[in-house]
Amino acid sequence: MKQDQTISDEFLNAFIDDQLDPAEKSRAFELIEQDESLKARVCELRGLKARVRHAYLNPPQPARAATKSWLSGALSRQALAASLFLALGSVSGWFAHNWTGYGSDREVMRLLQAVQRNDIGGDPRKLMIHVGNSNPVRLATALDEAENLLASARHAKRPMQVEIIANGGGLDLLRADASPYARRIVSMREKYPNLDLTACGQTVRNLRAKGVEVRLLPDTGVASSALDEITLRLKQGWGYIKV
Amino acid sequence: MKILSLICRTRDLRKQMEQSRSKLYRVAYSWSHDAALADDLVQETLSRALKNADQLRDPELLNSWLFRILNNCWHDHFRQHRVMEDIDDVEDYRCVNPTTPEDMHARNQIVDRVRDAVSRLPLGQRQVLTLVDLEEFSYAEVAGILALPAGTVMSRLCRARRALKDSLQELAPPQPAQITQIRRVK
Repeated sequence: MKQDQTISDEFLNAFIDDQLDPAEKSRAFELIEQDESLKARVCELRGLKARVRHAYLNPPQPARAATKSWLSGALSRQALAASLFLALGSVSGWFAHNWTGYGSDREVMRLLQAVQRNDIGGDPRKLMIHVGNSNPVRLATALDEAENLLASARHAKRPMQVEIIANGGGLDLLRADASPYARRIVSMREKYPNLDLTACGQTVRNLRAKGVEVRLLPDTGVASSALDEITLRLKQGWGYIKV
Repeated sequence: MKILSLICRTRDLRKQMEQSRSKLYRVAYSWSHDAALADDLVQETLSRALKNADQLRDPELLNSWLFRILNNCWHDHFRQHRVMEDIDDVEDYRCVNPTTPEDMHARNQIVDRVRDAVSRLPLGQRQVLTLVDLEEFSYAEVAGILALPAGTVMSRLCRARRALKDSLQELAPPQPAQITQIRRVK
């Protein structure tokens, strides 16, 4: 009990945070071993630390669409582009993002995790860009990214294969009758033969079932579904980013 | 060759920054307890970090550098919103009214209780506690990130844990009162 009073809270905190030097640490171990009340204080502090860690293990993710940014509008577009650019570094960093909005996203996430567990490294020369949202900023960002990548690869004389996969609202990008960037896409296709466009067959079918006439841009491939295409490409070692 | 190594370095840096995103977010959330604001802060932190990547001399220090930027962004946020909300007022309000409507809502779960208790710590203590507990920074690193003397870090941490212990005890369900046995007396 006497020892208990000589040991300050600062010392015990430093002990549980592993901030003591080896000599102090072994002294602390000895003291704690001999004194029940010290042991209880250490346990309590450790428990507190564990509870704080636990409380922030899964902080709630922001609802992106509803986010009212305190950054200006122009800046947040920049930030969007910046975050996309960052994502290029590695597929692994992608999990932190939460661009969810479609049920299939969860499936893609699961797949990506499986791929990561098996340590299949993405080939930096093959990249899919997945657009699942009709937001024009996102559509433009997808095209900007594809163009930047292809241009820099051409400049560095590196082979580079980019595939834009569109589903859900993102299909608008590839629709001849609805795409805001039809002319740009056609000219990009002429300039870069290694750019592929793939539409989600499932989305096309759904739209047709609703009586919407869907005309795709020339030379657009149709996969049975976006998910199938992404699965296939992931297995082939392609990198993945979602816009 | 030099250019190549420079390109590789920037690439690695970007990769590491992106991997730090969830860590930054967790800490930003533990400071603000507001998901949208935390997300904005992280976005701003990463975009500033990208812009000033050349200021980072030693890549080993990336992590504490990022958290230092986060701390700056957090202070800038309050500076920009001075007219709308004064941080001292918020703190004062919290001291005078220990139960805000949000608190009432957060009573039921342990996670919410702890978050609630952390959110009621004074800002300085909250920052030190979360950097040490969530990110396992050493006291010296925290001192660097928040630009504080090491002694202050230790004392704030100590006070934070003491306050946390007390407020979590308060929130714990009260011990069942002693039941008085009713005895028949003839």
